Amino acid sequence: MDVSQYLEIFLDETNEHLQNLNTQILELEQDPENADTVNEIFRAAHSLKGMAGTMGYKRMQNLTHDMENVFSEVRNGNIKVQPEMVDVLFQCLDALQEYTDNIKNTADEGTNDNEPLIRQLNDILNNKGMGGSSDAPKTETKAEEAPTAGGSASGDAPWYDINYDESQISVLQEAVKQGKKVYGINVVVNSACVLKAARAFLVVKAVEEKGELIVSNPNSQDLEDEKFENDFTLIVLSEEPLENLIAACESVSEIDSAKGEELDVNRLHTAEEESSENAPAETAAEQAPAASAAPAKNVPAAAPAGGAAPAKAADKKGKVAVKQTVRVDIEKLDSLMNLVSELITAKNSLVAASSASEGNNSSFNEQIEYLESVTSNLHESVMKVRMVPIESTVSKFPRMIRDLQKQLGKKLEFYMSGEETELDRTVVDQIGDPIMHLLRNSADHGIESAEIRAQRGKPEAGSIFLDAYQDGNNVIIEVRDDGNGIDIEAVRAKGIEKGVVTPEQAAALSDKEVINLLFNAGFSTAKKVTDVSGRGVGLDVVKSMIESLSGEVDVKSELGVGSTWTIRLPLTLAIIQALMVVVGGEKYAISLGSIQTIETIDKSDIKLVQNEEVINLRGTVIPLIRLNEVIETESHPIDENSLIVVIIKKGDKMAGLVIDELIGQQEIVIKPLGKYVKHVKFITGATILGDGEVALIFDANTLL
Amino acid sequence: MDQLSVNNNLNLPENGDETKIVDVTFQYIVIRLGDEQYGIDISYVNNIVRMQRITRVPKVAAYLKGVINLRGEVLPVVSLRLKMGLAEDVFDKATRIIILKTENEGQIGILVDEVKEVVTLSEKSIEKVSHDSKNEKANFLSGVGKNNGELISILDLNMITLEDN
Repeated sequence: MDVSQYLEIFLDETNEHLQNLNTQILELEQDPENADTVNEIFRAAHSLKGMAGTMGYKRMQNLTHDMENVFSEVRNGNIKVQPEMVDVLFQCLDALQEYTDNIKNTADEGTNDNEPLIRQLNDILNNKGMGGSSDAPKTETKAEEAPTAGGSASGDAPWYDINYDESQISVLQEAVKQGKKVYGINVVVNSACVLKAARAFLVVKAVEEKGELIVSNPNSQDLEDEKFENDFTLIVLSEEPLENLIAACESVSEIDSAKGEELDVNRLHTAEEESSENAPAETAAEQAPAASAAPAKNVPAAAPAGGAAPAKAADKKGKVAVKQTVRVDIEKLDSLMNLVSELITAKNSLVAASSASEGNNSSFNEQIEYLESVTSNLHESVMKVRMVPIESTVSKFPRMIRDLQKQLGKKLEFYMSGEETELDRTVVDQIGDPIMHLLRNSADHGIESAEIRAQRGKPEAGSIFLDAYQDGNNVIIEVRDDGNGIDIEAVRAKGIEKGVVTPEQAAALSDKEVINLLFNAGFSTAKKVTDVSGRGVGLDVVKSMIESLSGEVDVKSELGVGSTWTIRLPLTLAIIQALMVVVGGEKYAISLGSIQTIETIDKSDIKLVQNEEVINLRGTVIPLIRLNEVIETESHPIDENSLIVVIIKKGDKMAGLVIDELIGQQEIVIKPLGKYVKHVKFITGATILGDGEVALIFDANTLL
Repeated sequence: MDQLSVNNNLNLPENGDETKIVDVTFQYIVIRLGDEQYGIDISYVNNIVRMQRITRVPKVAAYLKGVINLRGEVLPVVSLRLKMGLAEDVFDKATRIIILKTENEGQIGILVDEVKEVVTLSEKSIEKVSHDSKNEKANFLSGVGKNNGELISILDLNMITLEDN
């Protein structure tokens, strides 16, 4: 079977399952008795095994199979969760991740059999205190199944459970009179099979070559839609012996067993006749033979088949709560987004045209207003489609902290909040590494050793917090620790030692500026280099990665108390609210996000400090930047005696941009200027105005 | 643009023996800059648009006149005159912006005084020019073609994407 087309889905889903397993096993470690968690783990491991099997990744399948066995024992209460076992399980997950990465890179799982891990898993299975072999629990699983199976009198002959309609019975009776044989065949599909419907179809096709299919349970539509558990029943008219039919069924791959018998047509009943029986018991009865039929035929397959049935049932229950989703190629979303941008531009030009036209056509204006609200709703919806919770990225961190704890020999407590905070998909994909680095940084450099913590009267376990929340048009992600904080003087000394600053410069730097030295390339204050951090390629990479996402990173720290790293990211990248201004007869846009206020200043209020123009705005001294000088053009102010100043702010820094004229606020679509126009630091892009004209967008951050 | 991209026709002589002459022809758009005519390989041309408002970009080389809006895309516009060291453009009714597609820089518009015609030149009729440091203009040319007795200088389009020294 050519599975390459499913590779992407396989990788996607495998990663999801692995992530889920990581999270759940962590939870299990905290709360070993939680049955829900165990079930969830079992289900994820089971799906993983099934998928790996279908894709033909045998090693991956073997490993998950053994893991699944362990989980199955845990679920049955035969094994207690112990820290050593959790360690082994985590190692297994790492091994699985390795397989997945190999598959991602080479479409092959690699050659590592991970035998030591499999041995350890088997040891866990064997040493569960009962002294029995790993087969013992399997029989127990079966025993558990048995009562369900026994619940129905006709458990072994599902063909008598089907509700036939009268015409079907008469066809069968007629056929019997003509000397044909009526067979009931129950086919059990391997529980790991992913394309059950396809298998069912092949079985039906094989059967129809040898006879006439009269009835199937579930019906053919449901078979096609995969609306069945692991088995289905066929009623066939044929002149051939039963063995031939059975053989035909079993020749289809991934069919665990097929068994059947010649039917007594008189025992078949219609729905009315059946109503006396307990209807809800039917599904249980149908499922039961699936479980009991398998061991009869094929003993080694018993455990997975038996174990699968309840898991599937649980799956069904779980599905009710799960929202329906569609996987969409991000490129399709991008093109949708581009179309929305076009629409907004077109809408803007309509607005411009309507305000320019003299005649006041009120119904026209109304329609335009309506169009405006529709386009902005559309934009919002498309943006929302692109938004995903950061959970997918941050959920791997608890596991990472757990590992760090062992590596560093420090006790760490990790608290996370705001996993549901949503960000643009592209941002979420790229924000993981910077956050990971900051967390490692906190664990390694931030949290002190146990002795120092004791001296300082802090609890032995260091706390690391990861908080995410939305703040206006930004999303804030904070990494906080109650560790040592940043030693300003150590950084200053290091800066001189590394040659980043001269001693004279260093002496003049404010604390804040010293901290900013940390973001310099090749700067690491770790006393010793560990494999956790301290390779000196850290914080500058963090900074540039975040800046490439149009975000910023900031740090506040108090020596001996702890540090807080704050990442600020814009919610959307492509469409922003902007203030349109005129400078020297040219239109420019300034992102509204960085604007504090707009002031009209009297020329006489401008003061000179060190030959730089500043204004005193309600007690704050703010430097002035004459935009016309920045863009090398003449200023044409409307009023010679006053200035229009746009106050912008980034972090603690503020500046006043002197402009000629205000146009107003507008939603603009950011377009790249193209590679050909480079080296213009203070321009982030361009936008197309309502009249088709291009206006450039100022990057307020680089002006500061 | 699709019909334009079919251009480098191999014109095999009809009854001739295949090994004899294989004549390759190229199509060129003939443009005017001042009094001189230049040819631009049509396979690089995506579009020709009328002069429109160009938004100046501050702090860039003088020959980069600014950016325009071409159906929702923002494209840079280069003055061929300034790039070649000629006098500043004077815009009139005949002025056109030729949109070129480049391999690495995306689409770029170039300003020309006038677009005259499309000619087909055979490879044989194009003489290569050697780049000569004394003759600055020659550095912008990849060859000179003859068309009905007229000489057409073929522009070397790489120079547009090269930075000025």
